[in-house]
Amino acid sequence: MSKTDLSKIALKDLACLIYETLKSNGINAILVGGACVSIYSENRYQSYDLDFVTYEELNSIEKALKNLGFKRAGRSFSHVKCPYLIDFVNPPIAIGHEPIRHFEMLSTQAGSLQLLTPTDSVKDRLASYFYWSDEQALEQALLVARSHEIDLKDLKRWAKEEGFLTQLKNFLGQLA
Amino acid sequence: MLEYLFANKNVEKILMYLSLHKKANATELSRSFESALDPIQKTLKKLEEGGLLASFLEGKTRVFQWNPRYPFLKEIQNLAEKAYSFLPPNIQERYFQQKKRKRPRKSGKPL
Repeated sequence: MSKTDLSKIALKDLACLIYETLKSNGINAILVGGACVSIYSENRYQSYDLDFVTYEELNSIEKALKNLGFKRAGRSFSHVKCPYLIDFVNPPIAIGHEPIRHFEMLSTQAGSLQLLTPTDSVKDRLASYFYWSDEQALEQALLVARSHEIDLKDLKRWAKEEGFLTQLKNFLGQLA
Repeated sequence: MLEYLFANKNVEKILMYLSLHKKANATELSRSFESALDPIQKTLKKLEEGGLLASFLEGKTRVFQWNPRYPFLKEIQNLAEKAYSFLPPNIQERYFQQKKRKRPRKSGKPL
């Protein structure tokens, strides 16, 4: 059982704890979704879902996270004392219709963490804005883009491929 | 036709139904396919967990539709449409082409 107080743990520290625990069990996972926005925006957006993508079997993940006290329900894991839900999103790791092959590696006092790059995190949020017209996702994309260097050339290329150049202009207009 | 691929006859039917109607709820599918509700609900949940479908609540009803963010969506849709086109006309009509009332009906009137 983990000695960490999971009732007060910060999202970033929990993400590191999960990543390191999985890694020590031979499981590679990548943090995606709103939790990346929380980390990149230093909690100006607070997510309570930690979405990881992995190609490993859920049974292996269940064995690894059991030692931390997390219990499985479908593809999700929760802990009685922890306010966050750990979810394992079905692979592939893709944003829109494009596979993602390069990731960011953070090193913190709580351990290391593999996650989407700031540019891919912006794309991930914009995909929700483009496909679902989700204004919250647009705000989250802006939070990341305002606090990190974004590859705008790559962002425009991706938005064009997805067929959402017009919608991207709205994002770029608000970013300026 | 594709049952061997999905190892579940409901998956094939649901995909073909969605390629025609774009969205559906479990009760509607169960009635159309003349099959039990529970396996349909389980299959819908499985497809949602897999990322192919997304769902929303419309009132108290959970409605499922294609997830536009799913990376292989176009390919799966093409497969479902082609599989549907190979069905005999009587099967298409019986299970997939029942006319649904889409115009409004004033509340309080008997259904």
